[in-house]
Amino acid sequence: MCPVRELAIIGVGQTAYRRRHDCSTPELVSQAVTAALHDAGIPMQDVDIVTGGFAPDGLAGENCPDKRFLPAAGAVGRWSMRVNTGGTTGIAAAYAAMDLLAARYGDIAVAVGVERMAQAVNVPAVFNSIFDPVYERDTGLSTISMGALRAARMMMKWGYTPQVWAEVAARNYAHATRNPLAQITRPYTADEVLASRLLAWPIRQLDACPISEGVCAVVLAGAEVAQRGRAVAWVRGRASCTDTYNMGDRFDRADGDLVDLLSLHRATEKALGQAGLPSAAEADVVEIHAPFTHAETMAYAPLRFCAAEDGADLVRAGFGRWDSRPVINPSGGPQAANPVGATALVRLAECALQVRRAAGERQVPDAALAVATGQGGASQFSTCTVLTAA
Amino acid sequence: MAELTADQEPVPPLTIAGHWDFRYQYFAGDAASRFFHELGNGRIMGTLCPQCQRVLVPARGFCDACYVSTTDWRQVGDRGRLETFTILASRFPGLPDPPVVIGYVTLAGASTALLNFVLGLDLTDVEAAATRLLAQPAVEVRFRDQREGRITDFFFQLADA
Ligand SMILES: [Zn+2]
Repeated sequence: MCPVRELAIIGVGQTAYRRRHDCSTPELVSQAVTAALHDAGIPMQDVDIVTGGFAPDGLAGENCPDKRFLPAAGAVGRWSMRVNTGGTTGIAAAYAAMDLLAARYGDIAVAVGVERMAQAVNVPAVFNSIFDPVYERDTGLSTISMGALRAARMMMKWGYTPQVWAEVAARNYAHATRNPLAQITRPYTADEVLASRLLAWPIRQLDACPISEGVCAVVLAGAEVAQRGRAVAWVRGRASCTDTYNMGDRFDRADGDLVDLLSLHRATEKALGQAGLPSAAEADVVEIHAPFTHAETMAYAPLRFCAAEDGADLVRAGFGRWDSRPVINPSGGPQAANPVGATALVRLAECALQVRRAAGERQVPDAALAVATGQGGASQFSTCTVLTAA
Repeated sequence: MAELTADQEPVPPLTIAGHWDFRYQYFAGDAASRFFHELGNGRIMGTLCPQCQRVLVPARGFCDACYVSTTDWRQVGDRGRLETFTILASRFPGLPDPPVVIGYVTLAGASTALLNFVLGLDLTDVEAAATRLLAQPAVEVRFRDQREGRITDFFFQLADA
């Protein structure tokens, strides 16, 4: 059997993540891909494969957007495919590209994650339409209330409080001031978070992500191409795991409760194992895919930071701040910008920039090991990726 | 001679109004059709997984954990435990008017929880209502008089209300 092909991220291109009335979807895609190719020092002629993700079509109001956004990403004349797993769509596109490269269907691939949700006039109603129309949609369930149902459970089981989550938000907003691509660049304090509008108890406006759009692109390559003397990010571990859609099936389940985030627990176990790491706390940088503050803390136990019941104490101790290791979300994370179809790929791209020492003002000094998570569906699709500088 | 180029002055970004309001008929399927039919009889029914022995409520035709078809139907109780909840507090077009409580409840005899409205609470003080619900009070099913074969044919209310 051939040895597994080593893969690296050799280029990153991102648009700013905010409302972009000035650009069409294909224009945004081509900007990000052109920037990624420039960063990689690769002409489009050398690309073999183009994969892309674009989360709920209803948010953009364009059905089957793949027909326009894949050609804009360079798919003309090339192998291409779109994948879609809700919030994990962007990383699923990158994994599809990695799989095709690993199987030697090509040597260089472009993966894009695309979000156009500012085109939706009524975003919460579109998010209601993603839920089961038979048993659950009539309750008005949306992504916000789906998150709130978990947050309340975490308060019941583990003693989390809105104050703890407000500290998480304040840390993310502080980090985002370093990121010129972020949508929210004001360093809101914990008190401001607690005073913001209540959306669905206990989630307040500043616990939640903004409505963001934009495109993230990465260039991926096999080791033969990647070893050219340019800084690259080596993929040392990656895994995906899926849970049931039915949230009601996960309470007090033997394998793990709803808020144990079993799918991330298992994906992380595999990815860390591949990289030979006992815990994601060994990393210099961890980018956590969490559109809400409680969701970030829900990932702490799966990432092996602490036992689930100790998460609130970890936050109070200042875990994840800029002057500590690991730094959580040096980009500000999804709370500062959450372009849904791109977000999970943004986490990967930000980790790649960090270990390539190309993250500009948000560069964590000497970062050499980074971990990115992806989270989608009814908190049921999870991924974990480990990147290193060498 | 006229120049064959576009106007040079900046043009404001153009937006084009659109809408996407197609109509659908969702096919509830074998298990849900019977579940909703039984709601009409004033009964909450689940399906039994022959492998893990869970009683799945609301009813499903197969267990996605064991990946086997469910077999028998089981009636479950009309009282249960509130597993979690939220209080919708902000108004969004197309979603229920706030304040309103939704919650997952595991009914007696069921292995899984189902989502529905929790009605009858005083929500004038949202924090006080939330504190009460955090204690996971017992809740009970209340059927509506007029039932149409939807999950909203019933709701939950606190058992001590
Ligand atoms: Zn089963």
